[in-house]
Amino acid sequence: MNDRTQGQVLADVARMIREVIAEEWAREASIGMDTSFARDLEIESIELVALAERINAVYGREINLAEWLAAKDLGELVSLRVGQLVEHIAQCSSRPTTE
Amino acid sequence: MQLTTDDGVRLHVQELGCGPPIVMLHGMFLGNMATWYLTAAPVLARRHRVILLDMRGHGLSDRARCGYDVARMTRDLEAVIEQLTREPVTLVGHSYGGVIALALALRRPELVRKLALVETPLPPSQLQEMDAYVGGGLDGGGLDRMLEAFPSVVREALVGGGRRGRRIAESIRFLWLESSLPDDVRRAEDVPDDQLAALACPLLAVYGSRSSCRPAGARLARLVPGARLVELPAGHYLPLEAPGPLTEALASFADG
Repeated sequence: MNDRTQGQVLADVARMIREVIAEEWAREASIGMDTSFARDLEIESIELVALAERINAVYGREINLAEWLAAKDLGELVSLRVGQLVEHIAQCSSRPTTE
Repeated sequence: MQLTTDDGVRLHVQELGCGPPIVMLHGMFLGNMATWYLTAAPVLARRHRVILLDMRGHGLSDRARCGYDVARMTRDLEAVIEQLTREPVTLVGHSYGGVIALALALRRPELVRKLALVETPLPPSQLQEMDAYVGGGLDGGGLDRMLEAFPSVVREALVGGGRRGRRIAESIRFLWLESSLPDDVRRAEDVPDDQLAALACPLLAVYGSRSSCRPAGARLARLVPGARLVELPAGHYLPLEAPGPLTEALASFADG
């Protein structure tokens, strides 16, 4: 896995969020580090799963998004921000892989 | 990943981890693979290959108008298992998903290594929560009663009235008014005692102490030789209400 800057990861994640939501308004919506999945995007849990599937496909299994998400309780999931996800991905992808 | 059933319904499937296979099934109406993906699945995936599916009409699978009877959905599950693995699987099912898991374990015992039933109603038609939350009516009058019966997380989404609530309400409306699911569930026959007694694989039964399904857990524990019964202080929506203890029970059963 190549190192990726946070900005590149944010651009990738924002694109994938727009694809998963697949509604007109999402194409224009501004998606930044502070964007909340629940409050700003009103994303459903199954869409979060679909997003995780895409992120795993692009960044590889070492991101282990499922375990990262499942470690959060419902309150934390509800307040999850795009930036937290981006930081997690950037952190994992800058770590040397052992596989 | 997508798999297509022999009656043309596309099912959304995801896999996590590697090791001996576990297939996890969600409940109807409110359920989809997120039930497990955001709770027990990643923990089980540390030592197992976890296969998650959106059953027909749910999540990202096709919104089928019919085929929610036990026989048809058991064929869907059978097809997924046979296409994805050559070894017997541990099956985990919540609510009606457990009814389907149990039906497959009885019909094709060679495909099922272990069976975990979570809040599975027996008889399958006896799920009071379903009538409580949907039977109240979707078009106004019964909405308050419906909201009271939902788990709080769903209630909040619906009360919010935004995009998420609208989408959940649309999905429930489709399943309740435009699909055969309610009739198929009502028509589902009970599993006779002698069949339960002949269940060939190890069984874990997890039930909520405040759920209307609780007697089914007691019945399974009484009839199935060696069955392990775990009761948790929660209602019907155990994966949402008690994710930690439920995950622990499933992991120790799958590993043991």
